[in-house]
Amino acid sequence: MKILSILLMLILISSNVNAIAYCSLRDPVSQIAKLYPQKTNQLSIVKTVDDNTRAQVQIALPSNDLHFSELGQHTLYIAMLGKNALGYVHVRSEQSDWGLVEIVWAIDKNLRVSNFTFQRCRSPQNKKIAEGSDFKDIFIGKNYQELKQLLSNDGITANKYVLEKAQNAPELANVVLRCALKTLLLTEILWGDELKKL
Amino acid sequence: MMKPLLFKSYIGYLLFFLASVPLTCYANFSQNLRWSLDGSFRLNLNEALGNTSRIYALGLDTHKVFTSPTGDIGYGVGQLYYTKLSNHIPVPFLFTSKDDSEFIIREAHLNYTAGPSWFPNIRVGHFTLPFGLEESIDTNGRLLDYYHGKNLGTKLDWGLSLNKVLSQIEYNVSYTLGGKDKAKSVDGSYVVTARVGSLSHLDFVLGLSVLNGKIDGVSRKRIALDWQYYYASWGLLGELAIGENNNQLQGWQEEKYSLVELNKTTINNQLKLYSQFIFKDRESQQSADKLVNIGFSYQVNTQFELSISAGMQINTPVSGKKKQLARVQIRYRY
Repeated sequence: MKILSILLMLILISSNVNAIAYCSLRDPVSQIAKLYPQKTNQLSIVKTVDDNTRAQVQIALPSNDLHFSELGQHTLYIAMLGKNALGYVHVRSEQSDWGLVEIVWAIDKNLRVSNFTFQRCRSPQNKKIAEGSDFKDIFIGKNYQELKQLLSNDGITANKYVLEKAQNAPELANVVLRCALKTLLLTEILWGDELKKL
Repeated sequence: MMKPLLFKSYIGYLLFFLASVPLTCYANFSQNLRWSLDGSFRLNLNEALGNTSRIYALGLDTHKVFTSPTGDIGYGVGQLYYTKLSNHIPVPFLFTSKDDSEFIIREAHLNYTAGPSWFPNIRVGHFTLPFGLEESIDTNGRLLDYYHGKNLGTKLDWGLSLNKVLSQIEYNVSYTLGGKDKAKSVDGSYVVTARVGSLSHLDFVLGLSVLNGKIDGVSRKRIALDWQYYYASWGLLGELAIGENNNQLQGWQEEKYSLVELNKTTINNQLKLYSQFIFKDRESQQSADKLVNIGFSYQVNTQFELSISAGMQINTPVSGKKKQLARVQIRYRY
């Protein structure tokens, strides 16, 4: 009876959850080390992406939505060198023609993209292009507002400038751009206050 | 009735959480804590036994990251489930009758991760043995099955493991007590398990596992190779294990097991279809068992999942009754 009461109490204060069991959660340890080779540890901050957050994304980026797996609790990692923060790491998923793509974003303290790598990109051709410096240069060093200017009028595809730079991989450019925008936006919305205190 | 040892262990785990609160200067207890209620209903239609059974489960799934101002110290996972059987045969080892109910601890462990980059993480508690495909694909609470428990004698066990993800490989080596749900050695039980593999997030994953142990009076030795290859929304997976069992009556008997799976996931990740071929050969059996499983899971939204699977034995066993099992599961995580 006591246990049932506790469960009922927990139901009343529960929020969005992730669909997978928590025992299968894995930190992107090797990717964080790749993006910040000098880091000594990482500091996790878990926040909830809920329907309110989703609505804010839809307002800021019309025609865009969060994938259902993006709702629930997610982690922002702060790459640490001793007691100093080197930058942030944020992993986000984006739907593509070849399945979900998971990108690990390195973000500097001014919330600009400093680098990125792929946790999952099951298209060898596209992954090869995406890991190239020409492609990465389209996004590196830019903040949310600067990236938003790379969108075309439909709000979901990249503009002519990006497509020319991304040669032969327009879908990849669209996916990476949308993912970058949502990542920086969510970092600001959910973790912004906390990051200012660091 | 909850088993006292299980209850004490889970309470101990919760107390560790609470005791850690003052140590974690950065966060209070609720920060970096994930938890959800996980309920499921499973219907099993076993043609070979002419039996229909149901399993109801309701549990609390928790995950907590412990931090200090300079970084993560480690994390804990705790899963406690109330599970009720209804006409379920054969009766699983955790239960005493086909209509029994029990509180069951699934995963309950702490993993210390704050050591230097060369130093392994240290896990203590009740965890899945690091062996084969199950090490990188978790099947707890799902119809998808890689026969981990059946092949090794148990899926989860109490003990200690050293684990780490490095830049090119990941490894996990464990020593557990072989008591399965009991946090103690039973009649000299123990299990040493290890897996080393390429990084599990890559499109091609290769792993090598070994096991040496004694559970329920049966000594087991295993060596296994597992692999995963993904291209776009397709996946081809496999596991090949060879070894021997010694159950004292028959002496050492060779065992072979292999599984091949082809799966397809829709690009939005909502629907996953899979087909498996399983081959099991025991020296003590006249012929090898060959089984085929097909199934799918459909993630309706963040909380709700529907899964259906069907399994059939291809060869005819000595008993003449081929295994035929159809299962339906509805799962809701709140």
